[in-house]
Amino acid sequence: MTALGEFALWIALPIAIWGGVLAFLGGRWNRGDLVLSAERSVHAVFALTMIASIGIIVAFMTDDFQYWYIYNYSSLELDPFFKFSGLWAGQRGSLLFWALNLAFFSSLAVWFNRNKNREFMPYVVGTLLTVLAFFLLITLFITPPFEKLAFTPPDGRGLNPQLQNYWMTIHPPTLYLGFTAFTVPFAFAIAALLSGRLDSRWIQLTRKWILTSWFFLSVGIIFGMRWAYEELGWGGYWFWDPVENASLLPWLTATAFLHSIMIQESRGMLKIWNMGLVCVTFLLTIFATFLTRSGLIESVHSFALSLDIAYAFLAFMAVAGAICIFLIVKRLPLMRSERQFESFLSREAAFLLNNLVLLGAAFAVLWGTLFPLITEGLTGSKVAVGPPFFNQVNIPIGLLLLALMGIGPVIAWRRASAKNLRRNFVIPVVVGLVTGGALTALGVRHVYALLTFSLAAFVLTIIVIEFWKGTRARARIEDEGYPIAFIHLVRRNRRRWGGYIVHVGVVLMFVGFAGAAFDVEVRQSMEPGDSIEIDSPYGHTYRLSYLGLSSQAGQNMWQVIATFQIERDGVQIGFLDTERRLYQAPPQPVTEVGIRSNAIEDLYIIMASMDERVGLGNDPDFQRATFQFLINPLVPWIWYGGIILAFGTLIGLWPGAGIPGAPSASIGGGGTGRGGGRRDDDPDDGDPVPDPDPIEGGTPDRDPEPSKRPIEPAPVTARS
Amino acid sequence: MSLLIAAVALAGCIVLYVLHPLLTGGSASMEEDHHELTEAQHQKRIALLGLRDVEYDFHAGKLDESDYRRLKKGLAAEALQAMESESRELRESEGGTLSAEVEDEIEALRTSLREGTICHECGEPNPRGSRFCGECGTGLSVTRETTDA
Repeated sequence: MTALGEFALWIALPIAIWGGVLAFLGGRWNRGDLVLSAERSVHAVFALTMIASIGIIVAFMTDDFQYWYIYNYSSLELDPFFKFSGLWAGQRGSLLFWALNLAFFSSLAVWFNRNKNREFMPYVVGTLLTVLAFFLLITLFITPPFEKLAFTPPDGRGLNPQLQNYWMTIHPPTLYLGFTAFTVPFAFAIAALLSGRLDSRWIQLTRKWILTSWFFLSVGIIFGMRWAYEELGWGGYWFWDPVENASLLPWLTATAFLHSIMIQESRGMLKIWNMGLVCVTFLLTIFATFLTRSGLIESVHSFALSLDIAYAFLAFMAVAGAICIFLIVKRLPLMRSERQFESFLSREAAFLLNNLVLLGAAFAVLWGTLFPLITEGLTGSKVAVGPPFFNQVNIPIGLLLLALMGIGPVIAWRRASAKNLRRNFVIPVVVGLVTGGALTALGVRHVYALLTFSLAAFVLTIIVIEFWKGTRARARIEDEGYPIAFIHLVRRNRRRWGGYIVHVGVVLMFVGFAGAAFDVEVRQSMEPGDSIEIDSPYGHTYRLSYLGLSSQAGQNMWQVIATFQIERDGVQIGFLDTERRLYQAPPQPVTEVGIRSNAIEDLYIIMASMDERVGLGNDPDFQRATFQFLINPLVPWIWYGGIILAFGTLIGLWPGAGIPGAPSASIGGGGTGRGGGRRDDDPDDGDPVPDPDPIEGGTPDRDPEPSKRPIEPAPVTARS
Repeated sequence: MSLLIAAVALAGCIVLYVLHPLLTGGSASMEEDHHELTEAQHQKRIALLGLRDVEYDFHAGKLDESDYRRLKKGLAAEALQAMESESRELRESEGGTLSAEVEDEIEALRTSLREGTICHECGEPNPRGSRFCGECGTGLSVTRETTDA
């Protein structure tokens, strides 16, 4: 099977090249046969990369150490679970895995569009296959996963112990899905540029792809944070590591893009900006892969330095970037804005500011990440840029974004008046100030934390009010109970309300981040029977009594476990273990932290060092060990926020249900024009007339104040 | 030997699958989607989306009355202009004639847009003075309030 997998990979490359060339030619010459052959090439490449990947997995599962990749990333003792995930554990397999993910999404995109959007599809297929061909080229010629050794070793070198964690099986694939899914919107953007169809059509077609990619990127990053928190054993979840940064960069620009496309869809503005953003985000997904796989910048994730890969990726990014710039410049006349900003006090302006801030953050992170490389190139010596730089720059930016998350929903489209803003902001601002004041009175003095909590209260109040207004209006108009009205409200405009739910998740995550301002850390060397008392910032005290070490032989490792008895304010609440593992293949010690989590804080214990003479007999003379105790307030909120964020995104992604009573709308339906009779299957697709949401689409919430006086009918100037 | 057979079979199947359209004359559709918007429909869509936002923002208390009226007036004019272009496009695409049914539909939509009696629940253009949507029964009270005064 493995040999067949290698063979499949060799066929995949020419098929991808063939299909790519045929797709562009088919689009240019309007030849359906060429395009069909190209589309079939996409499915074929997917099947072939799948066979190749299965080949690698079979080699892992059967301990086929004649392959360099299997020898270096597996061993006889390795848990089968981690053998399976060996496909993406190392550089060689992970690039094949990238290609597999991209081929999967490409195949899906071709299948979904087999009967529609035909003027885009030749160029979409051409772009997807070009990117695929690049990855297959690298996989075959620079990082061959099927390379054989001159002899077959009896055992492998084993998998890095830090990768022997269940998050390892989830985090990289999720992130890869996010990276690769973004190639589809990019391909549609290139197709729009090539075909000259530059209205918001390509954005409407790819909105769910963008959201899919954003979902996987977000979840992948959060999984990575959780992995770092549980496995790396330094007490934190984000270290501004170059590869962490690399995954954050496309997330930042994709987030900006998700907001700015709304302006293009509803106002016909920011076309060039959006086109630039989609290209930049795509290039950043490639950059993230490049940074991880080239090993150019030292990171916990990086594989061995490989200049060949670095040059290949740099060349690809340079060519792709140049093509994007050329096409955008060439099509500039077709991308003129259809409207102008009417006021700086409008939601459009708030969105634009949000975009600028997100891009500012992306630039700061990019600069900090590349700075060591740039200084090394210029001066020959490496200058490390650590968390202090990133925190100093990004915390204020994050706070500004948090504030905008509250301001955006309240500010009107087109033009907001100061009077209305005042009225809408009074309650949220008061809630924010009261929160800040109360926390100050309770002794909180950390400025950034106070600002974060106050802004979080401000934003959450605004979101709650928005939901309340919407639900109330729906309940009145449809004569529904409030819970049912709430469910219908969200269901009928998933994009808007799903977005607000995502905002709630992000706010909770920010609150969790701010908790780091109150971290408590104590380091202590202890003998069995010793106790230590640690005060939590919430006022209670933990008493941790060290009971001793116990050691045991596990699969491929030797575990030494320290056990603590925990009391909170004198009441025993349980036991907590923390351990060190000594892996045999490869021989490497790893810390397994002990975490006891409740709704507001984590108690976190790391075994910093121990006397290895304790041995398997648990010798009582060598039980002394040094521990690091941490209380991490609000960290659980990061994970809660992550779950809410994912849930909100899924609401936005959920396929549309049919709209009862959607008009045949040969004119008013805004979608059919000539055909008529089409039922709109997605209420969020921007079709304004049949929008079923009473809030978004029509009979709106009646805030009595502004509409007390009856309003004159709007005079119509253009008449037939 | 079995590997060789499997490899040849795999390569053969893939090549045949990919080349099949070229050998048999099979073809992917190259026609534009009939559901796609024309330029006029696109403009109309943007104007109607604008109207939707302005309605919501005003009734949610985010927009001043004077701004609301001004914006609504401008957007209604844009929407009507786009509809004019759309009906022109339709006439051209149907050889200069437009069925009476379609003409009626356009007129009904224009009227309801002017009168504010278009149902935002289902999109039905209701006649002037309607209090409830004739199609789905949704109350048209707000738009009535704003137009009857």
